[in-house]
Amino acid sequence: MEYILKNGIVYDPANKVAGEKKDVMFRDGKIVEMVADDAKVIDVTDKIVMPAGIDPHAHVAGPKLVVGRLYRPEDSRKGITNKTAVTRSESGFSIPSCPATGYRYSRMGYGTVVEAAVPPLEAKHTHEEINAIPNIDITPLALFGNNWFVLQYAKQGKIEELAAFVSAWLKLVKCYGVKIVNPCGSEAWGWGMNVHGLDDPAPYWDVTGREVVTALAKANEMLGMPHSIHVHPNDLGHPGNYPTTVETMEAIKGIEKNSPIRDQTMHLTHAQFHAYGGTSWRDAESGADPIIDYVNKNDHITIDVGQVTLDETTTMTADAPMEFDLHQLSGLKWANKDIELETAAGIVPVIYSGKAPVNSLQWAIGLELFLKVNDPWKVCLTTDHPNAGPFIRYPRIISWLMSNERRQEMMDNREVHPWSHKRTSLATLDREYDFNEIATITRAAPAKIYGFQDRGALTPGYNADIAVFDLNPNDIDPSRNPAAIEKAFGSAMYTIKDGEILVKDGEVVKIKQSHTLWTNVKGMEEEEKAVMKQVMPDFTRYYTVKFENYKVFDKFVPNPTVSEVQAGK
Amino acid sequence: MANYEPPVTDYDKIVENCTCAFCGCNCDDLDYLVKNDHVVGVRHACRLGASKIMEDMDQRLLVPMVRNNEGELEEVDWETALNKAAELIAGAQRPIFYGWSETSIETMHHGLELGELVGAVLDNQATICHGPSLQAVQNVGYPVMTLGEVKNRADMCLYTGSNAMNSHPRHMARYTTFPRGYFRPRGRFDRTIVTLDPKYSDTAKMSDIWVGFEQNGDYEFYNAIRAVLKGKKLKKDLISGIPKEDVEELAESMKNVQFGALFFGLGLTHTLSKQRNIDIAIQMVADLNKYTKWVLMPMRGHYNVNGFNIFMAFETGFPYGVDFARGYQRYMNGETNTIDLLTRKECDVFMVIAADPGAHYPGGAVKHLAEIPVIQVDIHWGPSTEIADVVLPGSFIGVEAAGTSYRMDGVPIYMKKAVDKPETCRDDEWIIKELLERVKNIKAEQGALASK
Amino acid sequence: MLSLKTITFNQKKTSSISLEFDELIPDEIYNWEKEDFDKYMVPIGNSRFPLTDYFDIEIEGSAENAGEVKMILNGDYGRVKYIGTKMGAGEIIVNGDADLHAGSQMTGGSLLVNGNAESYAGREMEGGSLTIMGNTREFCGCSYIGDWRGMNGGTITIHGNAGKQLGECLSGGTIIVKGDCDILAGIHMTKGFIQIDGDVTRWPGGQMKNGDILINGELGRLLEGFTQEDIVTNPEIEGKTFSGKYIKYVGDIALNGKGRLWLEAEKNRHLLY
Repeated sequence: MEYILKNGIVYDPANKVAGEKKDVMFRDGKIVEMVADDAKVIDVTDKIVMPAGIDPHAHVAGPKLVVGRLYRPEDSRKGITNKTAVTRSESGFSIPSCPATGYRYSRMGYGTVVEAAVPPLEAKHTHEEINAIPNIDITPLALFGNNWFVLQYAKQGKIEELAAFVSAWLKLVKCYGVKIVNPCGSEAWGWGMNVHGLDDPAPYWDVTGREVVTALAKANEMLGMPHSIHVHPNDLGHPGNYPTTVETMEAIKGIEKNSPIRDQTMHLTHAQFHAYGGTSWRDAESGADPIIDYVNKNDHITIDVGQVTLDETTTMTADAPMEFDLHQLSGLKWANKDIELETAAGIVPVIYSGKAPVNSLQWAIGLELFLKVNDPWKVCLTTDHPNAGPFIRYPRIISWLMSNERRQEMMDNREVHPWSHKRTSLATLDREYDFNEIATITRAAPAKIYGFQDRGALTPGYNADIAVFDLNPNDIDPSRNPAAIEKAFGSAMYTIKDGEILVKDGEVVKIKQSHTLWTNVKGMEEEEKAVMKQVMPDFTRYYTVKFENYKVFDKFVPNPTVSEVQAGK
Repeated sequence: MANYEPPVTDYDKIVENCTCAFCGCNCDDLDYLVKNDHVVGVRHACRLGASKIMEDMDQRLLVPMVRNNEGELEEVDWETALNKAAELIAGAQRPIFYGWSETSIETMHHGLELGELVGAVLDNQATICHGPSLQAVQNVGYPVMTLGEVKNRADMCLYTGSNAMNSHPRHMARYTTFPRGYFRPRGRFDRTIVTLDPKYSDTAKMSDIWVGFEQNGDYEFYNAIRAVLKGKKLKKDLISGIPKEDVEELAESMKNVQFGALFFGLGLTHTLSKQRNIDIAIQMVADLNKYTKWVLMPMRGHYNVNGFNIFMAFETGFPYGVDFARGYQRYMNGETNTIDLLTRKECDVFMVIAADPGAHYPGGAVKHLAEIPVIQVDIHWGPSTEIADVVLPGSFIGVEAAGTSYRMDGVPIYMKKAVDKPETCRDDEWIIKELLERVKNIKAEQGALASK
Repeated sequence: MLSLKTITFNQKKTSSISLEFDELIPDEIYNWEKEDFDKYMVPIGNSRFPLTDYFDIEIEGSAENAGEVKMILNGDYGRVKYIGTKMGAGEIIVNGDADLHAGSQMTGGSLLVNGNAESYAGREMEGGSLTIMGNTREFCGCSYIGDWRGMNGGTITIHGNAGKQLGECLSGGTIIVKGDCDILAGIHMTKGFIQIDGDVTRWPGGQMKNGDILINGELGRLLEGFTQEDIVTNPEIEGKTFSGKYIKYVGDIALNGKGRLWLEAEKNRHLLY
């Protein structure tokens, strides 16, 4: 079946198309250059056409999601919808059920979402949830930054072995890339402790976050992985943490990149939470400038923001000690999961209020990052869902980025507390994103950062993952109409995935099974065998499952999209 | 030497690393000794797991049955039995699909789809077992860990309201107390074991400290420990029957370990304050985390009871007692749970899969079950079979059929198949899928008729 | 308040599966006439049936808004759930027992149950008044499970006895029990006022952070989380003065709680330190 999306206004930054009136054609699930005259015509005259969205960092599938849903029935109760002829009933606001997650991303024109943190021991669980999320492809990242084997390899400087370990483990758990969260800190949490800064050694193992991040970065490049290491630095959420963030970015500066697609050797995630100055919550202020400067001056770093949306939401992260601290501050119910030999996670509800000084400061810092990083290819739109806000707020954030008037109004009306402008530079920033930049930070940049070669652009041969929004860019002034921008981006006119129309006028009209993206490194077979031999005695002694039962069997990944990578190339 | 049984040596092959389908420990190191496609021996299982496997053919359900007009169960073919069950489900106004804790996640998928289709209540054994634990978790949090964390780090294990030596025999042996952990290389000798239990149970017998507080005194006892942690001098001489000095000493010792793990069972969920016992224990563990590292874990009692809660949570947002009657999910303890619906005589068709309500439910609930149509999907005769109207013989997950389960600590395990099931039985997954398809057809026909 | 429209439900058939009345509140039906009731299909389990199979409806007068409506429910409502749920105005009188969730999520108006109420009466109430002449079962005036913010306004008056966990997570509003009360009243409370005139079995105010619980009867067991502060004569709480001597406790210490427990001094002398 051939289709032609006719007369849309196309924003396809990867192909340098910025608001051109152009047709987009697809056949058999792929974008093509030409179709026959009898192709089915979808009239999108003067409507915005972009590749389908790519969310580079969210928490949508896995064990801590279930703990979150299970322990927040009051959140599940919000966002309940009736089943329809096409969709099942939905639940959840900050932690949607799996079906709801798929439908809601799809309604916003998204096609691919990265599940940012998979604990290897429970990876099967993540994959079960991925299979229950329809309409979007999911790219899971496996957690390595507190893994006992990784800590030892990093300490000993054994990069080749580490690379073989990573390569082998990604095959075992069917994940796409390397995630590092609070390196050494979540291991310290195994004893109720944390680490402070990049050079504070983990108890007993005596290895620092700097050593772990550097070792994994080297291993990652040695393998030639499509994505760089993906790092959640130490000291998240602490006033005065920006030096740790800058040091983390600087730590891997010399390491040579080994990828034809991405530019970065480190993707630093939810930078907003790592951009605080001051010494306590009383004198806290924005620490965004040093980070912005660093990102502007260095090409080996990309970031995503983690923008606060001023909602009641749920924090959940593998930075378990931070979550306990948050619980102590707010008194709200705390969940925690420590995972043997590998990692830990924590969950606490949070209410971000425009009345609260700290939350308003956080809100403003996120916007500073968006507005002062010059190159939109280096900064991605996220809320670290659900940590800074639920993903359904992305359209609202887009409306803020496109309207200085709206931002100023929020500060003038006291919709946000004065700390938002008294302790940041936000009031002086009048930059407004245009549609091309929006397309970059929500589609093109994430695709490049992940090394995707089949999505994020309307290139012939790529997946026909396309979003159409009911907006005429020639007719609307986003600066004056934030509500209309939010509405249109929240309710796609069409969401097309692999050439199938899944959403029309904001309604889900079709359900499609999701694909799981994972990376298969070739050429390390001997090294992997050797590493497995090394690792096996401790595995057998200290895990509580048998190695034979540990891996993610093929049946858990029924629709794999495999990135084949030749090690070293 | 009278009880000595020589080891089994007559077998064709060993299927290694099978997963036990009993208690919630889901020990995945079982070796089945197989001869002529039967399991003739098992290694590494405890008495509970071994008995389930070795006694499997005792009272095994082998054929589909329907209760006839004389009130007797008589053998029928699969078509008849499935059609009868599908009719009952399609015509029900307040159906409940209960059980699930001893079948696979793969089976649950079809059960949920069926429940959403007909507007049923989906519930599992948590409703009579650790439901209060989940309620407490919903109120105050869930500071948990995988069992390997306990093995490798714990220097104090505290069992409260749980007699692990009887209910989960390998819990202490493989996971918490005896194994040599990375940081506890001497195993038992590197740990202090505490039992809090009104009775001097088998677990208490092998503990270093036994605190036998009075029955129903749990809430007050934990409240006092928390007060001590906050620096209060206790006023009463006896707290739930325990001298205040002992309470203060226990609180102090809990503060001074490196890593404490608290395990709790029905002694908390089912005594006077029910979910508040767990509520306060969870807050106590959170309090202790200000001083040192503490975690807890509910001692889930079936190999997939946690699996059902996890599955339902990711699919529907709620863990058990999920009611689809109005076209969307609702969760309300006391209203959408099985026992309440039965004692209030609201349920009109009941399907039980991999559970035995006849054996486990309070009398009032069983009485109502005897009055309504009951469909049973199971592998053994039991009291539930006595009240069932349709019996569908399933398969033994982890032995005859593969399937995914979740251990008590949430670790997912894919349980392998070792032998074939009896020819006359069917896979649980197949049975529920068949019911789903048949009910869909009935609904489609009804819809077509209605529109005429 | 003069109500101008009276809608009387005379029950003629009962059901063992509970009916759900959440769509039949003054806010929704103030302008309904006979045809509307004849058309209405009430949810029972997974199906809906004509309301008029179960009730004869009499309508007198007319109303411009919910506040001018009075609903009278005659019969046995032991299997009619969600009476008065989310109502914001108007009056409902149940001449009999009421099933689960009576008056839950009310924001205004009044609901009177001339009988016993099942569990969850007044759950998440925000305003208005709920009066139960008989007893309530568990969780009267509580939160939705998981939400630490519960009932936050309005008044519940129970003339009979109250079951377990009365006013759980209370965040505002007043609950008055004339009779006795079971365990754990006011557990997890952060604000508001619970007054119990009868005896209380055990452990009121467990894990409480703030608010007041006043007991005029005898308390069986007190938690160590509460510290005795003083004996106060004629304390004033939420604008009301209670004459007599009361032992004042503060707690729950585990949460650095500043909640106040007032125990009538004579009856509770046995708890004095």
